[in-house]
Amino acid sequence: MTYVDKPTVPNVVKFDEPTATKRNKLEVMLNTGSDIYQGACKKRGSTLKDEYRHASGTAYLDPKDMAKLGVKNWDTALVKTNWGEVVVYTAHSRDAPHEGQIFICKGPWANVIVSPETYCCCDPTYKGVPASIEKTDEDPLLMADLMAEVYKKYDKHETVTANKLGKKPDNNVCHYRS
Amino acid sequence: MVYEEPITDYDYKVENCTCAFCGCNCDDLVYLVKGGEVKGELKDGVVVSGYVDGGHVVGCRHACRLGASKVMEDMDQRLLVPMIRDEKGNLVETDWDTALDKAAQLIAHAVRPVFYGWSETSIETMHYGLELGELVGAVLDNQATICHGPSLQAVQNAGYPVMTLGETKNRADMVVYTGNNAMNSHPRHLARYSTFPRGYFRKRGRFDRTLVTMDPRYTDTAKMSDIWVGFEQNGDYEFYNAMRAVLRGKKLEKDIISGIPKEDIEDLVESMKQAQFGALFFGLGLTHTLSKQRNIDIAINLIQDLNKFTKWNLIPMRGHFNVNGFNIFMALEQGFPYGVDFARGYPRYMNGETNTIDLLTREEPDVFMVIAADPGAHFPSGANRHLANIPVIQIDIHWGPSTELADIVLPGSFIAVEAAGTSYRMDGVPIYMKKAVSKPKNTRDDEWIVNELLKRVQKIKGIKPEVASK
Repeated sequence: MTYVDKPTVPNVVKFDEPTATKRNKLEVMLNTGSDIYQGACKKRGSTLKDEYRHASGTAYLDPKDMAKLGVKNWDTALVKTNWGEVVVYTAHSRDAPHEGQIFICKGPWANVIVSPETYCCCDPTYKGVPASIEKTDEDPLLMADLMAEVYKKYDKHETVTANKLGKKPDNNVCHYRS
Repeated sequence: MVYEEPITDYDYKVENCTCAFCGCNCDDLVYLVKGGEVKGELKDGVVVSGYVDGGHVVGCRHACRLGASKVMEDMDQRLLVPMIRDEKGNLVETDWDTALDKAAQLIAHAVRPVFYGWSETSIETMHYGLELGELVGAVLDNQATICHGPSLQAVQNAGYPVMTLGETKNRADMVVYTGNNAMNSHPRHLARYSTFPRGYFRKRGRFDRTLVTMDPRYTDTAKMSDIWVGFEQNGDYEFYNAMRAVLRGKKLEKDIISGIPKEDIEDLVESMKQAQFGALFFGLGLTHTLSKQRNIDIAINLIQDLNKFTKWNLIPMRGHFNVNGFNIFMALEQGFPYGVDFARGYPRYMNGETNTIDLLTREEPDVFMVIAADPGAHFPSGANRHLANIPVIQIDIHWGPSTELADIVLPGSFIAVEAAGTSYRMDGVPIYMKKAVSKPKNTRDDEWIVNELLKRVQKIKGIKPEVASK
């Protein structure tokens, strides 16, 4: 049994929520961190497989936010920050309610969009990054494809993709969006 | 729920193994081994001494989901042969001599090498790594730089009211988890050390303890707590300051502080004062938000203030099983816990300057060696994008995100299953992790690889290599 076979969260999004109004794009706060599925999958070494994409490349949203965006479990969404953009799955958060916040487990997908700013404190800002999320039809890439497309270490050809980096970090100068 | 049959199809049991996943270092695991031949003493199917040669671990008793998943690894993605990247960008299998020589050449001629990782390997490996780093003027850094680095800075700022996990088990009647989700990241922490076990003074286990979680999210740990304090995102600093003010007898002027009503803060502080022995465990929720080490400063100060009334201590929830070991080892050997720069021939440590993320965002390193770590999976893209410009040497056991960026791959072995070694638990207790099974044929111990690199670099630099201790 893999983590993909067993949905980690129930499919409970109601599209006719009275308080929700449909939006194409939401401004949210991005948090990253670990959860037990991502940790188990990563440390077992199954990073090239589909289950890692589901365990790590998933944005956990509040059900109300999901209703506003019109997405359900295992739909896909494009998350953008100053630092890059990446396509991830969406799923109902186990820690809801936390409207206006999304959680993406640490991993290559979250890395594209978190802030490398350390403010001279050695630790990048993994939590509390301003982001936007919108629905998309593209599928999240598997780990190896994502690393190749985003960092282009061995293939320098320009390809048009939704998974790309934003601006370069500017030597620890504060960019925090107020 | 899916019921899974217990594993009965095994030949040997290896008892008292240590888990090599998180900072809990649970040392009561039983590995169920199938096949192979026992090199050592066997008594009633239990390997009393030595290890099983050629066997596979098919099951793991007492471990949590994380520990079990790591021990029963995915052999599909195991790195088994050294590899070097060719001009087309494909990893090509090669022999050990070629790969080690190429890596040694890169390290010996580097201007600003960075050796990052070390947290998932043994202290014995670090010993050779330090010697190599000193020789070539490298920066030695470990995963603390992206997790508990601010905690170590705060310890330097404000002190370290420390305890061991055994004290928590026997004495603590109030346990606070702040900025972490122990049920997901350290699943046996509550069960083995802090909340559920029956201790000497806490005979009834869970019923004798109060569990408090302070976290903006209603996490799995919060769901099983007695009290959940869901302060605002980035509101930690203000919240702890308010608690300190209440503790010192001040009246709070604002009605709601960081999303928490002031009456609730007063109640919480009162109950914390009433505890006989309090234990505070803090995680990355504090170090990764904007106030970084100041969050921990204020948490440590809070504990110091609480000690005017009753006994309180704290422990950082360290992530990898030996991340604390590197910090203790470096602090002992060089005086600094992490981010130690030997570029000038003597150790320097400057936050924001000699740390891996800062070096990478400033595009300074020209050779990057990853040992037992995964920057591909855990560094922000702003730092990782420089790894695409420079040669990367990887010593690891699995094909991971870093392998996609690596130019030389050296397959290591798995400490605590395939190799023995010393590690330090999150509270600083050293634990010797024993070997249970033999490693795959063509892989080598991390200790051997780093020592071999050291000897080859010494040869290139024209220094007579010393005879290795092992």
